[in-house]
Amino acid sequence: MTGTHRVAITGLGCIAAPGNDVASFWGALKEARGAIGPVAAVPHDKLNIKIAAEVGDFDPARHFDERKLMLLDRFAQFTLIAARQAVKQAGLDFKAGLGRETAAIIGTGAGGMNTLEVAYARLHGANGNGATARQIPLTIPRLMVSAAASHVTMEFGITGPSFAVSSACSSANHAIGEAFWMVRTGRARAAVTGGAEACITFGTMKAWEALRVMAPDTCRPFSGGRKGMVLGEGGAVAVLERFEDAKARGAEILAEIAGFGMTADAGDIVQPSETGASDAMNLALKDGGLNPEDVGYINAHGTGTLANDVTETRAIKRSFGAHAAKLMVTSTKSMHGHTLGAAGAVELVAAVMALKEGVVPPTANYQRPDPACDLDYVPNTARPARVGAALSNSFAFGGLNAVLALKRAP
Amino acid sequence: MAEITEKIMDIIAKEAKLDRTALTLDTRLDSLKIESLDLVQILFAIEDEFEVYVPYNDESYKLETLRDVVDGVNRLIGEKQAETAAGQS
Repeated sequence: MTGTHRVAITGLGCIAAPGNDVASFWGALKEARGAIGPVAAVPHDKLNIKIAAEVGDFDPARHFDERKLMLLDRFAQFTLIAARQAVKQAGLDFKAGLGRETAAIIGTGAGGMNTLEVAYARLHGANGNGATARQIPLTIPRLMVSAAASHVTMEFGITGPSFAVSSACSSANHAIGEAFWMVRTGRARAAVTGGAEACITFGTMKAWEALRVMAPDTCRPFSGGRKGMVLGEGGAVAVLERFEDAKARGAEILAEIAGFGMTADAGDIVQPSETGASDAMNLALKDGGLNPEDVGYINAHGTGTLANDVTETRAIKRSFGAHAAKLMVTSTKSMHGHTLGAAGAVELVAAVMALKEGVVPPTANYQRPDPACDLDYVPNTARPARVGAALSNSFAFGGLNAVLALKRAP
Repeated sequence: MAEITEKIMDIIAKEAKLDRTALTLDTRLDSLKIESLDLVQILFAIEDEFEVYVPYNDESYKLETLRDVVDGVNRLIGEKQAETAAGQS
């Protein structure tokens, strides 16, 4: 079982602030309906930054019974909800033998932060409670970074290569890229892959605030007047399988993953690098057998920080030369926030739907041009466009870059 | 006032690993080549020392010299005292 196979995406699932499934999420993005608002999870009196993009209208008890819920941190809940949607759409039954040849690879930056925060609050006696050294027995299995991947295997009977990938804001793209390579090279016949993050907690909000990269107003990627990023949360999962398998069973192919590229800047722990980002894009194109001119759309990392957006713009120009001016480059983080370790997966949904429906989602909240960001960012209104290939960029703190190259389904 | 200035100079010298004796009110910030992570530490230390909140990307502060920084911190302290007084009345 070796060789080179084309890789199809036949299932997608998503839960994030703009919508709790792919249809509602994509519907919001197409209409530039952002989901950034006053943060609900944390009392405002101790916050300087009081906005986030939180998953709303969400009752875990509607998705999981009590016994299961005990085991699931919020990030694992998001993973399973997205995975159920994706597997249902793909229509695959892993328990009938395919599970042994299937990989489950899930990215997350931080894992069970909600669980960790509750544990520390008990330990140190926060929130007006007395300190207690007694911990909730399931603290460890809930908070471990690999918990979501484990729950995916248990939910669907997947017994092939399964693990978590953690590379901060590139976690999901690294997970999906690795799963893609496994299916392409025959190391796995299919894969359930994506990412999840749920760290809109008091502690995490304060820590991000202290780093001074958070916008107090909203997220305006590539726009003049942008003030930084906005935290989001959510999860997204894709089902990957051999293109010929999907064809043979008559499954709908949503898009094709063509290539994957990754680099490390070996530079700064927070400052992005133009060459590291550009090299990752070049590698993704080369890996996918694509010429720069084949690409019509880039779902940018586009965090909305002063540094990222200028550096990413330069990196795109470095990779695409004159063709950069013809690209549509958008950051959907303007609507779903920065979902950190889930970002590559949530944005994969946006990029796949853009290819499939022929509509490029906009960069919302765009106010005015920044001379240092001079590409076509599709400001504020979605654009009908038939795109043959797209890139989805993730560039993490610590200089870990991961780029996926996608092709429209034939 | 002088005490605040001294404390701010101490903080900047310590966090950015600079020669304290070389810092004056007229020193230009760009000449110090302070790295972004050191800047974050400086702001954090200023907030701790003076119990103020330094806003992000606030365009009403024109920070070119260390004097501008001292003036800015004094403004934040003044605003905080006015707020506290308003809260008590």
